[in-house]
Amino acid sequence: MTQDTSTDVVVVGAGPAGMTAASCLAESGVRALVLDEHTAPGGQVYRNVEKVTDKRSADLDVLGSHYRNGSKLVERLHSSGAQYWPGTSVWEISAAEEPTLAVGVVRDGRVRMIQADHIILATGAMERPTPFPGWTLPGVMTVGAAQTLLKSSGLVPDGRIAVAGSGPLLYLYVSQLIKAGKKPQVILDTRPRASLQAKLSVLTALTVDPASMFRGLGWMREVRREVRVRERVHQLRAGGVEKLSSISYESCDRQFTDEVDLLLVHDGVIPNTWLGMSAGCRHHWHAQQRCWVPDITGVGQTSRQSVSVVGDAAGIIGADASVLQGEAVAREVIACLEGKQQTAVGNTAHPWLVRQHRLLRRCLDQFYPPAQEFELPPDDETIVCRCEEVTAGEIRRVAALGCVGPNQGKAFTRCGMGPCMGRKCGVTVSRLIAEHHGLGMDEVGHYRIRPPVKPITVGQLAELEIDAHAHTA
Amino acid sequence: MFRRRDRVSDPVTIWFCDRAIEAVADDSVAAALLAAGIACFGRTPVSGAPRAPFCMIGNCFDCLVEIDGETNLQACLVTVRDGMRIRSHPGNGPGDDSEKGKA
Repeated sequence: MTQDTSTDVVVVGAGPAGMTAASCLAESGVRALVLDEHTAPGGQVYRNVEKVTDKRSADLDVLGSHYRNGSKLVERLHSSGAQYWPGTSVWEISAAEEPTLAVGVVRDGRVRMIQADHIILATGAMERPTPFPGWTLPGVMTVGAAQTLLKSSGLVPDGRIAVAGSGPLLYLYVSQLIKAGKKPQVILDTRPRASLQAKLSVLTALTVDPASMFRGLGWMREVRREVRVRERVHQLRAGGVEKLSSISYESCDRQFTDEVDLLLVHDGVIPNTWLGMSAGCRHHWHAQQRCWVPDITGVGQTSRQSVSVVGDAAGIIGADASVLQGEAVAREVIACLEGKQQTAVGNTAHPWLVRQHRLLRRCLDQFYPPAQEFELPPDDETIVCRCEEVTAGEIRRVAALGCVGPNQGKAFTRCGMGPCMGRKCGVTVSRLIAEHHGLGMDEVGHYRIRPPVKPITVGQLAELEIDAHAHTA
Repeated sequence: MFRRRDRVSDPVTIWFCDRAIEAVADDSVAAALLAAGIACFGRTPVSGAPRAPFCMIGNCFDCLVEIDGETNLQACLVTVRDGMRIRSHPGNGPGDDSEKGKA
């Protein structure tokens, strides 16, 4: 076991929840090791915030005041004494003999196992899949991807841009682009006509958290003043041979075709559950957020005794609430390590604040529902599984043949069996099968996720020295 | 497709399929290639369709490339290094099994 490292708690992810949980643990004298796939702490929301603050002050103005707040979390992490490993992917969580866990990581091309008494998954969110004809073409990417390029390398799109979908991030990014001196040609808003419930949700949200709501409404007002917005967009298609050259869509019963160089899509975010699923934590379908979430008791306790999930990975709550939850989960884990049982009621650090964030989130979920056409792509030609190029029509065909679940669907079509392991098609494939059979999502279930959840080579595995006690997966 | 807001400081040279590209020391491989106007990063093993980064946060695997001889690396998660050699995966068109697996 020469390659092994041991620690008290492993924290996966260095966004608001992960940074806060690790800081709080380390400040309490618990050995905490943060494993981050990226090169600097911050997660996606505060991506690269240290370097932008130090070296790119012009970009700091573009990214806005909320982004600056990330610096405090990063500084706290550095001064807390928690260990931080950048550029580190986790490919396995195996039970050694619970409560001892073995966490398989790959760093600098080398694979190793880390022993820990507890693991906190703060793996954050990812953008909801948005399948539509042509979404695999180079030149189509997510709004989050474009924003990551702005934060990490100061890149802004060039040429003619269209932005499609809905959600707060879409308007935030476009407002940042306008500040950076770049205006998209058009925004294609895919929301249906606002329901009474959606309108009421805005009023509710205004009373719950006026500051956040005014900030968000400010982005929308600014964006709508500067950029043409097409409402109630349907039948979005991206066209081109080797790369995107045009888009077509219907808006308010009129057909449009635009020549564009880049199409950015976004339809909200969903929890990144792959690691928790591969660790065997139970998950269920969240009807309101329309995504899979881990079963949680207390603050972050999953169905596995030594695994906690916190932040957006446990259900979308946003950056500010993730900080509060990170603090609370650290306390829960410390109590757990000390062998104390905490009651669920006493766990939350700021119960009133967290409830406020959850209420705001519910309003946002009602105001920005996922587009029906992205959830259940009506066109059979639409590629659902980007890796194996499996279409919605093929999923419907095998469902009609009697396939009742996504895992059986793999055997029929290879959907979800490419390198992304279903991250970009898992929700869609389950939804299509559930729709066909008239079943609930929990009845249909999700792909079974197995390690390694990140690519490692046979050679790397062969170099790993395995302790017979540490490896039972 | 993308341009830099700032002038290139701290430049490093990387190679994409024998083309020299100027990048910034902190860039991810994906960011550097996009800033250099590379539209197609590689091709799918099923139909040979072109692909480029979609999510930029390590989930979509559409940015897989070969870096210094190691295949299937996520370009969005690897930081550039001076002299780095990047090649795209050729994918596999229908009936093109002979090319499968070759870089």
